[in-house]
Amino acid sequence: MKYEIPAEAEERLPAPDTRSGLLSRWFLQRFPVWRTYEHLEGKVVPKHRHSVWYNMGGLALFFFIVQVITGVLLMVYYRPAEPWMSVQRIVMEVPFGAVIRSIHHWSANLMTLALFIHLFSTFFMKAYREPREFTWLSGALLFAVTLVFGFSGYLLPWDDLAFFATRVGIAEVEKAPLLGMWLADLARGGPEVTVDTIGRFYTLHVMVLPVTILTIIGLHLFFIQVQGVSEPDFFAALPPEQKKYEKFFSEFMFGEIPIWLCMGALLVAISAVWPRGLSPEADPFGSAPAGIKPEWYFLSQFQLLKLFPGKIEAVGMFLWTMIPIGILTVPFLDRSIPADDRGRLVTKIGIVALLGLLLFTVWGGLS
Amino acid sequence: MNYPVWDIPFLGAGLVVAIIAVIHMLIAHLAIGGGAFLFIAEVWSDRQSNGDAIRAWLRKYATWFLVYTTVLGAVTGVGIWFSIQLASPEGTSLLIHQFVFAWAIEWVMFLGELTVLYLYFYGWQKNSRRMQIFLAGAYFVIAWGSLFVINGILTFMLTPGAWSLESTSIWAGFFNPGYFPSLLIRTLIMFMMGGLFGIIVATRINGDDGFRNRVIRFSARWVLPAAVIIPFLLIWYWSTLPQATVDLFREGSTGVFGGRLEALNRYFWLAMISGFFIVLGALVIAIRPKAATTAGAIALFLIAQFGFMGAEFFREMARKPYVIYNVLYSNSLWKHDSEDPALMGEPFLSRARWRPEVEPMSMEHGEWIFRLQCVSCHTWDAYRSLGQRTEEWTPEFGSRWLETMHESGVMPPFQGTAEDRAALSNWIVSQHGEVVVEPEITGTVEGGGR
Repeated sequence: MKYEIPAEAEERLPAPDTRSGLLSRWFLQRFPVWRTYEHLEGKVVPKHRHSVWYNMGGLALFFFIVQVITGVLLMVYYRPAEPWMSVQRIVMEVPFGAVIRSIHHWSANLMTLALFIHLFSTFFMKAYREPREFTWLSGALLFAVTLVFGFSGYLLPWDDLAFFATRVGIAEVEKAPLLGMWLADLARGGPEVTVDTIGRFYTLHVMVLPVTILTIIGLHLFFIQVQGVSEPDFFAALPPEQKKYEKFFSEFMFGEIPIWLCMGALLVAISAVWPRGLSPEADPFGSAPAGIKPEWYFLSQFQLLKLFPGKIEAVGMFLWTMIPIGILTVPFLDRSIPADDRGRLVTKIGIVALLGLLLFTVWGGLS
Repeated sequence: MNYPVWDIPFLGAGLVVAIIAVIHMLIAHLAIGGGAFLFIAEVWSDRQSNGDAIRAWLRKYATWFLVYTTVLGAVTGVGIWFSIQLASPEGTSLLIHQFVFAWAIEWVMFLGELTVLYLYFYGWQKNSRRMQIFLAGAYFVIAWGSLFVINGILTFMLTPGAWSLESTSIWAGFFNPGYFPSLLIRTLIMFMMGGLFGIIVATRINGDDGFRNRVIRFSARWVLPAAVIIPFLLIWYWSTLPQATVDLFREGSTGVFGGRLEALNRYFWLAMISGFFIVLGALVIAIRPKAATTAGAIALFLIAQFGFMGAEFFREMARKPYVIYNVLYSNSLWKHDSEDPALMGEPFLSRARWRPEVEPMSMEHGEWIFRLQCVSCHTWDAYRSLGQRTEEWTPEFGSRWLETMHESGVMPPFQGTAEDRAALSNWIVSQHGEVVVEPEITGTVEGGGR
């Protein structure tokens, strides 16, 4: 059974005797998506002095696409049974293997950075408020999954840096109340980081997390398409004649392409200047290299916990846990549009959290 | 060793030159291509019904162009002179002595460029149309003339061709094998830069979308010749490269610090990918000029900066370990001197004029060999880190490696005696925290030091 083409579609489609007219009718008779097309066609993005932040989500998506492509290429040669040897082979023998690995490493970092900026820019524009609570929560989940991606991928080369950093990282998880020990054992596959951990992290990194993140990205984009892009308070308060918009399809998307390309060139440039090295193979019985630290996106937590040694470590844990709890609950705590006193207080707390994050990251990096 | 060494911690002298030069190259190419853009746009405006509107826009283009090229261009240009004479005085001296008239012509061209550009810009209201078009054309011709001259010197450093220290034939050195493909490639890139700059200025046009889109399309077209012709010119350029460079490139597709010089490969691909991205971006903008934003246009311009970084680093690395291919090594050792066993076997510090008195086989002995033979390319712990490359060294291994490093094809031969090699190797190993026992030798290394 073929679907009927809506009357308004008939009015707007090219003439039936043209090739494009024939093709579009053929398609609409099989897939009744005219209403969806109309919805997407009418989708707009507000244009104002902070519009640049709307590009951050797309940028993170761009780096994710790079991750998928380079990740698939690396999987061709990576062997979880002989992790370090296979990475060494990728680097030393496979043509362009070192470059692909460097690009994978740096795009992971840039994706995390783009997500950090996306998270804070949407926070300060208060895009988490009604009706976009689930867009915000799915975004927060995406961010968390990305961090787990980074953590699991870091171990896979099985060099000494990766090994000891992972051991330290899982030891932190162990300290979490209630489920900490169980989670740590589950991640390690036992009480110690061994080659069994590689199997778990590899499965997580190339199977579980990709399926999870693709599902959440789909949901996140679906929410955005249905609910549209949020307008910050100052823009929403403008009289209609002063508000400017651009169409999401295709002005906004086409406008993003040069920025994506520029970030692509930046990515290649960084990979050219600072190729990712490979330390000696992990020796679980050897001593840890001096000054071992987690990746930059875990540095703030690492540095904060260092301030609370021994028995008061739980205090540090509690303080840090406030950040994810705050992220998850903010859409339900700050609901007023336009922002009221509570909304302004939430913004101030956000500024303090951002400054704290930056301070502790830099501090952790320098110390 | 006639000159003191310019020791820049963290970056190294070579990288300082490179950073300034990469920025300067982008501006210099825009300075010439923008001239062609001004001339063609002037002529184009006369043939359009809204010529006044085009010229009003062109005035904005010229304002930004003048500020960007004459201020930043001049500052970085002088910066190059300042830094190369410190980084490689021997090489700079050779280039000045060999091409003294070329440099003189280059400077006259530069002065002519500035003069004509100011006449064009400040005569906007007073000059006749004919005069404005003439000045724009004259500016381009003079500016391109400066490329014609400097291109000879730049390509000479990588492909000196039939030039030799004995013949010192200026023409053979100037019109060397790499000269013409390089000249044509750079000319096309200049047109591209003029167009990209035009897109940035055009995105600022408010109100008249039709006019804005026409100007953006006109500007985007300037990328087209480079996109079509450069791939063919690259094949020509490639055929002029020294065989050793081509071999290095082939072996460099593998290995982090493992290929012989895989950075050559990485920078090449940076240039190629950046060029491809610019063409792709310009196509998108040409197809949907309405979607062009200032941020997007600046993004394309930044890609060009990355592309210049890749291309210029490639050109510099392609001649490693020489600063002038097959003539002068990067650490100021002349190739003909390196072929004299008696000279190469002399105690190294006895030939070095700019160093303190040091005890033989002391740590200072090794450190001063490092300073005088290595720091022109390597820093200890940052750019091209020697520390990173020698983590696994023992004094004996280091000594042996130094003796044969020249055979890798990317390092100059070691200058000095077995004692010098041992002193350098000991110093390097000691920097990694290993305790190296200094043999008890008294006295000082004679000669030279000041």
